[in-house]
Amino acid sequence: MSDVTLVSPSAPSVLTTEPHVPQPHDASALISMREIWKTYQMGSEQVHALHGVSFDIHRGEYIAIIGPSGSGKSTLMNLIGCLDTPSNGEYWLNSKNVSEMDDDELARIRNQEVGFVFQTFNLLARATALHNVELPLIYGGIGSAKRHEMAQQALAAVDLSDRVTHRPNELSGGQRQRVAIARALVNHPSILLADEPTGALDSHTSMEIMDLFERLHGEGNTIIVVTHEHDIAKRAHRVISIRDGLIENDEKIR
Amino acid sequence: MSQLNTTRAGAGSAPTNHGETFSVTRRSFSFFRLTALWEAFLVALGSLRANKLRTALTLVGIVVGVAAVIAVVTIIQGLDNKVATTFSSQGSTVFTISKRPQIIRSREEFVKFNKRKDVTHEDAEAVARLCAACWRVGVAANVRETVKHGDQKFENVVIRGVTPATMFEIDGRAIEVGRIWTEAEGVSGREICVVGPDVLTNLFGGASADRVIGQEVRIAGRPFQILGVLEPLGSIFGASRDSVAYIPYSTYQKVYGARDSIVVFVQVPTAEQLEVAEDQVRTVMRNRRGGVFKQEDDEGFSLETQDVFLDLYGKATSNIKLVTIGVAAISLLVGGIVVMNIMLVSVTERTKEIGIRKAIGARQKDVLTQFLIEAVAVTAIGGAIGVVTGFGLAYLIAALIGFPLLISVWAAVMGVGISSLVGIISGLWPAWRAARLDPIEALRSE
Repeated sequence: MSDVTLVSPSAPSVLTTEPHVPQPHDASALISMREIWKTYQMGSEQVHALHGVSFDIHRGEYIAIIGPSGSGKSTLMNLIGCLDTPSNGEYWLNSKNVSEMDDDELARIRNQEVGFVFQTFNLLARATALHNVELPLIYGGIGSAKRHEMAQQALAAVDLSDRVTHRPNELSGGQRQRVAIARALVNHPSILLADEPTGALDSHTSMEIMDLFERLHGEGNTIIVVTHEHDIAKRAHRVISIRDGLIENDEKIR
Repeated sequence: MSQLNTTRAGAGSAPTNHGETFSVTRRSFSFFRLTALWEAFLVALGSLRANKLRTALTLVGIVVGVAAVIAVVTIIQGLDNKVATTFSSQGSTVFTISKRPQIIRSREEFVKFNKRKDVTHEDAEAVARLCAACWRVGVAANVRETVKHGDQKFENVVIRGVTPATMFEIDGRAIEVGRIWTEAEGVSGREICVVGPDVLTNLFGGASADRVIGQEVRIAGRPFQILGVLEPLGSIFGASRDSVAYIPYSTYQKVYGARDSIVVFVQVPTAEQLEVAEDQVRTVMRNRRGGVFKQEDDEGFSLETQDVFLDLYGKATSNIKLVTIGVAAISLLVGGIVVMNIMLVSVTERTKEIGIRKAIGARQKDVLTQFLIEAVAVTAIGGAIGVVTGFGLAYLIAALIGFPLLISVWAAVMGVGISSLVGIISGLWPAWRAARLDPIEALRSE
């Protein structure tokens, strides 16, 4: 009797070789990826960078995406950040189906929903810290007075109020990354997406930046850090491991 | 049901309107993205300033092109204006009655016109008496002659025998110093003259006009007393119009005989009356010829305004003008290619920056506008410098040729406008390439 009841209704679908029927996306999730494929054409060969990846990320999570180089984690990051669209599958960000958007709509999403932090900071060399932070607001069409105020606040949030008029080459690496974080946060995006944020920093400064991420997470931001360093990944609350274009492991560690 | 709908519409109308107004404002705002435009402008200026040598080279390309076009156009305009004012110094209110038209196109025409009866002083008197619409009627005959004073000689002076004294006004000439002869002097056959300023320069060593009055010059071996000096009119095509001596027609006849047909000048008060006057003159002249002259379909005399010269000038120079402007425009084209070249370099150099901007939300049109503005900024500035340089060049050339310069606001506006257009055209492709860059690739570049 008990044997019979042990057969769960979902069991056959796990075991079947029938074509996979995608689960509907989770409407409550901030990010909902379903069966995401990314395929590149390399000469006559098709290279699959992602083989049908599915996961959900909820508001307020702090996630590390980890994997060796060539695992597909950069591709995944570009998709999450709306710099690219999947070859197949659905990507829902903040209840919007991003996978079907055109270039201008994607630019709008990047502007409003995503805050990027890069390994090499990617600040405009000729612009001051303040102007760098204002840049997303400019493309968001926000007037100069409001823009100024918001940028000042964002710089204050990363403790750089005294470096507002400095240019990137007048700042230390850690300070540059903090300017970049301020730029990422200034539009109050849904996600803060960091690609190897400490890759160009010494270990002491790296810890400072990771402390800052922790603080920002504590203030309610959703943070996704893409890294190959386990030390950095360990600071997150959930780690998604990617290998060969598939999710190898997805676990809450805190 | 219908009630429900009405209620809904009624209740919803006010907020909906508000909502629409708001969203329209927002949409148009975000479409133009004034802040992004301003940002694009600042970025353009910053990039131009940061690459001074590159900017300077681009500027030179545009400046040369625009300056060439502006200089050519300005000189042509000056020339046209000079020609127009010269030929219309008698004004569009004057026409002539002559045996031969002023422009003869073929030998056949020359033979035909030569068979005509001479236009005489009597014809002029008849016109003056019978043509009601004619305001002033005068007679003039010209000959080229060497004028002497002491041991000074001045060759090729136009000796113009005129009567009555109103011919000075018909000719559009004014007295600077001295006087015109009186009516009595005019018919007396006395050797008196009014000379152009060139005669002073050449025979009196540039002595001031009032010291020349009363002195004598020799024309055709006879001593002529100078009564007055004319105001200068300047020269046209290198031929001075001030190298002239007016003498009474009675004197002219005495010295040169009635060796050629005369030209009768008729002036009407306003240009509108020109046609009426011409019709009346035609009637008078036909009556006087009385059919004797009539061969084939020729009426035996020519009525002409000075427009014939303007027409001829226009026809003769229109092709030259086009070719000259065309050649100048080629240098502008080269300038445009320089701009395109530099812009392509600039896009390649700033691939990373474009990637950053796209990553944080710049749309294709934002990037496109930024680079277009950069191209237009440099070409507009180049255009402005080019206009000034072009005017300067034209000024120098005009000073060398010796005619007054006509600086037109139109040419200046066109210069800057056209160069900006060149900027848009040559900036479009590089800007489009920048806008189309893949943000991932762009971010990866160094």
